[in-house]
Amino acid sequence: MTNDEIRMTIRSSRPATPACVQARVVKRKLLAPDVVSVWLRVPEIARVIQPGQFVQVKASSSDEPFLRRPFSVAQQRRDGIRVIFRVVGQGTALLAAARPGDEWNILGPLGRPAPLVRNRNVIIIGGGIGIAPLLFLAERLCRQNRVHVLLGAQNRQELILLPEFRRLGVKLSLATDDGSLGNEGFVTDTLQTVICGLRSAIAPVVFACGPRPMLRKARKLTQGLESYAFWEERMGCGTGICYGCAVKRADGQGYLRFCQEGPVLKMSDIEI
Amino acid sequence: MTRSGNPKSEIRNPKSESRTSSSGFRVSLGGVIFQNPILLASGTFGFGLEFPKVVRRMGGIVSKGITPRPRAGNPPPRIWEVPHGIINSVGLENPGVEDFVQTVLPAMRFGRARVLVNVAGDTVEEYAEVVRRIDSEPVAGFELNVSCPNVRAGGVAFGRNPKLVARIVKAARRATRKLLVTKLTANFVDPALTARAAEDAGSDAVSLINTVMAQAFDARGRPALGGGTGGLSGPAIKPFALYCVQRAAQAVRIPVIGGGGITSGRDVREFLLAGARMVQIGSVNLVDPCAGIRILEEFRGRSESRQSGPDRLGQESRNQ
Repeated sequence: MTNDEIRMTIRSSRPATPACVQARVVKRKLLAPDVVSVWLRVPEIARVIQPGQFVQVKASSSDEPFLRRPFSVAQQRRDGIRVIFRVVGQGTALLAAARPGDEWNILGPLGRPAPLVRNRNVIIIGGGIGIAPLLFLAERLCRQNRVHVLLGAQNRQELILLPEFRRLGVKLSLATDDGSLGNEGFVTDTLQTVICGLRSAIAPVVFACGPRPMLRKARKLTQGLESYAFWEERMGCGTGICYGCAVKRADGQGYLRFCQEGPVLKMSDIEI
Repeated sequence: MTRSGNPKSEIRNPKSESRTSSSGFRVSLGGVIFQNPILLASGTFGFGLEFPKVVRRMGGIVSKGITPRPRAGNPPPRIWEVPHGIINSVGLENPGVEDFVQTVLPAMRFGRARVLVNVAGDTVEEYAEVVRRIDSEPVAGFELNVSCPNVRAGGVAFGRNPKLVARIVKAARRATRKLLVTKLTANFVDPALTARAAEDAGSDAVSLINTVMAQAFDARGRPALGGGTGGLSGPAIKPFALYCVQRAAQAVRIPVIGGGGITSGRDVREFLLAGARMVQIGSVNLVDPCAGIRILEEFRGRSESRQSGPDRLGQESRNQ
């Protein structure tokens, strides 16, 4: 940690403590096999949360599982937020069983918001479950920017949130590994085509979220451009106090805490 | 042992030694008065800057471990969840003593909550170096982290060797008159032995048990943590911690700060019953940054609802 970062931590220390609040499950839906969407009524968080920020959810009222589960936010309305997650273990399995009326203990909002750019060419690229937080971002950016959304997944079934993105009226390009929807191949292949076509025009700003290989490729393709990665990985506290979530800095100066400096990180700042 | 107060140091009141205030939940440790017996454990609350309002309510905060030079810490993953706890391998990431003093410490203003600096090093001299550099700053005291690998002693953790513990405490003692706590390990050593060594060398108190050395593998059979191995904490270690705290408390006359898996006011009370005068809460902060306030309120509620009240708690926590 350099002096500047310490100063940044001190400056960015939130005056108001992000609160643990009770959120009520309003709606639960299966979007794809093992991919769950939950709408929560939680006005305290809904009113202030920004694209890129996340919440930490307690999966039970006991100490098992011990840690909270970090979820990005896919949509926000006046009184509620929508989280979308894949069932990968014990905690997410417990949460996936939620029913309307259930209460979740939630900590948030956490992390720094994504930069809300204006009057730009925006490219949003998402893969798999990484598509979820990009919907919230696209909703915020689509009116004041020219937004092109590229979505990829293994197959048609796994390509989530398509109706929501279509409703935004943004330019949409799709890719699936098996070709069951959109182009056959990786969504980063589409990115390459899009970027080549744009180079002559105003430099775009790129936001990416998805599996590590996708981010790695996106970082390569967007070198020299303003580009951001939404970093999703296991973490401890989510609030910056445990130093448990580390992402390697590109300048060799150690690590960033992605719950605090991120989860939206400049691609040029990190090693992927 | 009487010590003249450093002009910049916080007030010490030798008269209140070994007393828990009857007017509340204040406790005294080596002459430093804490507004309540709950400390935020080192490494589990950063430098307190993210949640200053929580820190203010606590007895105090123990900073992340400070070393003479900056440390980047271990590669990720640094945290691995296990039943009823976590294994961590953060690796003492810290800005180094100079940046700490210049940039971080001035921001660590938490009202009546005390600031203790956790000190770590690769050599005996490094501990003394960090203590010396910070001694004139407005901190209440130091906690010597004697569970780091010592290259000179052939990779054996300092804390496993009572003689090395004594040497570190003596070196640090020469560098400060402020409150000196020695944070002991319970890994492959009887904490009664190291507690006694710390006491004899001039430590004002001991804290334990830090984390319990642990190994985990991921689904692919590789070590789950970037650092290879790690330290287990959380409710999983509480019974072991209670045992170790009791053992140390029976072995020494200096106060014991107990910790390991505390998540409730009831847990705090159990550590006091085991002989601790104060407690440290750690892993629970990762689950809820406001846990300290909840635990304090639970502890107060439990204590006040008992016939004998807080005074009795003070007596229980005494080692004599």
